[in-house]
Amino acid sequence: MYGTQSKRDLALELQSQIPILRPSIHSRRANLTVKFQDLYGFTVEGNVDDVNVLNEVREKVREQGRVWWALEASKGANWYLQPEVSNGIALKSSLKISAVANAITLKRLIRKGIPPVLRPKVWFSLSGAAKKKSTVPESYYNDLIKAVEGKVTAATKQIDHDLPRTFPGHPWLDTPEGHATLRRVLVGYSFRDSDVGYCQGLNYVAALLLLVMKTEEDAFWMLAVLLENVLVNDCYTTNLSGCHVEQRVFKDLLTKKCPRIAAHLEALEFDVSLVATEWFLCLFSKSLPSETTLRVWDILFYEGAKVLFHVALAIFKMKEDELLLTHHVGDVINILQRTTHHLFDPDDLLTVAFDKIGSMTTTTLSKQRKKQEPAVMAELDQRLRRLNSLKVEEDK
Amino acid sequence: MAGGEAFSSNSPAKPPILGNSSKTINAKLVLLGDMGAGKSSLVLRFVKDQFFDFQESTIGAAFFSRTVGVNDASVKFEIWDTAGQERYHSLAPMYYRGAAAAIIVYDITSTESFERAKKWVEELHKQGNPNLIITLAGNKTDLEDKRKVAAEEARTYAEERRLVFIETSAKTATNVSKLFYEIAKRLPRVQAMQNSATPGMVLVDRSPEETRPASCCS
Repeated sequence: MYGTQSKRDLALELQSQIPILRPSIHSRRANLTVKFQDLYGFTVEGNVDDVNVLNEVREKVREQGRVWWALEASKGANWYLQPEVSNGIALKSSLKISAVANAITLKRLIRKGIPPVLRPKVWFSLSGAAKKKSTVPESYYNDLIKAVEGKVTAATKQIDHDLPRTFPGHPWLDTPEGHATLRRVLVGYSFRDSDVGYCQGLNYVAALLLLVMKTEEDAFWMLAVLLENVLVNDCYTTNLSGCHVEQRVFKDLLTKKCPRIAAHLEALEFDVSLVATEWFLCLFSKSLPSETTLRVWDILFYEGAKVLFHVALAIFKMKEDELLLTHHVGDVINILQRTTHHLFDPDDLLTVAFDKIGSMTTTTLSKQRKKQEPAVMAELDQRLRRLNSLKVEEDK
Repeated sequence: MAGGEAFSSNSPAKPPILGNSSKTINAKLVLLGDMGAGKSSLVLRFVKDQFFDFQESTIGAAFFSRTVGVNDASVKFEIWDTAGQERYHSLAPMYYRGAAAAIIVYDITSTESFERAKKWVEELHKQGNPNLIITLAGNKTDLEDKRKVAAEEARTYAEERRLVFIETSAKTATNVSKLFYEIAKRLPRVQAMQNSATPGMVLVDRSPEETRPASCCS
């Protein structure tokens, strides 16, 4: 009805169309840069080593699939929903034990990656999107889309402006159908939460959600649960105050977890927010290869926003030696960009993110955010007052 | 010299630079302006001589660099291309802090974007470094038939505010190199190098050339 059917199996189709990549001996010799489409239809530029890594990743994805299918076969199709049941106190102890065991298995499994075919189902259940959707009438999304059709607001104008600028060249997103679908999701959400309305960055997030979830209604609910429950509040509202808070927390963490890098960058007068702001607002979708981004999102939807800090710190940590040798801001940025663009093996990143960064609890992070909030508010307020004083002077 | 923080290569706090750095001047430059005005397109044309009809929307900011020769000096521009949506303005100070130059871009087919540009000018005048070279760039001259902002109006405004003014088209590459060249030759350190060629000459803080409202698009 809303263009959802025709693209229902888009990701699957894309997967089946892509042959295993076999670089020819010629390109091997010449170490040529090759262009190819990845699992989600994005054009990737890389050398032969990158192609080999991607083939290995494909094999690992298949192996993970076999593990998940085996679990489904032995524990039942929705076995991963049982940890939620464990929150109920009235459970019998034997059930509780199996639920706890499931929770441990699940966390470990998710860190190793959800197979792409299972992603829509698993994300939808574990993120809380299914629950959110169940609290409103079945027709909520369709009614919303009908109600807002033809309305023009500041948000819809900005959305229209960004549609062709969201992953331009993607074989489905950059088509009239892709634009129309992304538009409905973003416009729908802008009316659901007028405080957020539309924030640039959400176009990339929603686009990737569409590619994974396969139906626009599910993508919409994933966007809703992300902004309303998973991420910290006000990341995308008027002055991005939530984003400012996250950046300050991140800087403190970098000083604590990677003190040598933090000190070196400070000496170069390099503010890490210069690069990390985009990472946090686009949830890495503009920086990391698609499967790597989605592996981060697997963890994001199960364990929460702390994974963003783990991953951001890991990117710096992985390149510690190189970063310590830099003399210029430009060199730092080049290293970070080259690193993120070539992280084709998600495990390279996630191993560092979880094994070398040390643990962080959501409670500690919440405390850190609380600590930073007053300073952010004061800073934003001060800027606003300064700008307003300009107007007063002008009016005189 | 004021504004020295922008020239990181010569700041004593910095590690020494390898190679023939004596004449390379690092200059931080920031692009500001409404969304869709063409900030990223101007940078891409300047840095890579490329143009795309639909340039990915910038989130936060993107970094580019390119070195240009001006007289005897090499100027390495470290360019911060910022996101245009209004809510991103709260991030702007991070990008213009320590900048030697700013390009404020508007779209000549949008009066709204010109109004937004004026707001940026006011903000920079108030908060930026007093020696900051501010350039007002009216982009998209290839869309002459859709023009809404007269060149004269913008020029008058720029003269009042002591800005460099230029009209450009990232699409056709018109005036794009010139835009950056005009900035490079106004950098105090470039001017100091020219002046120091005359022995015994006393350097003043700002040369008349630099303080004079400039217009280079006639």
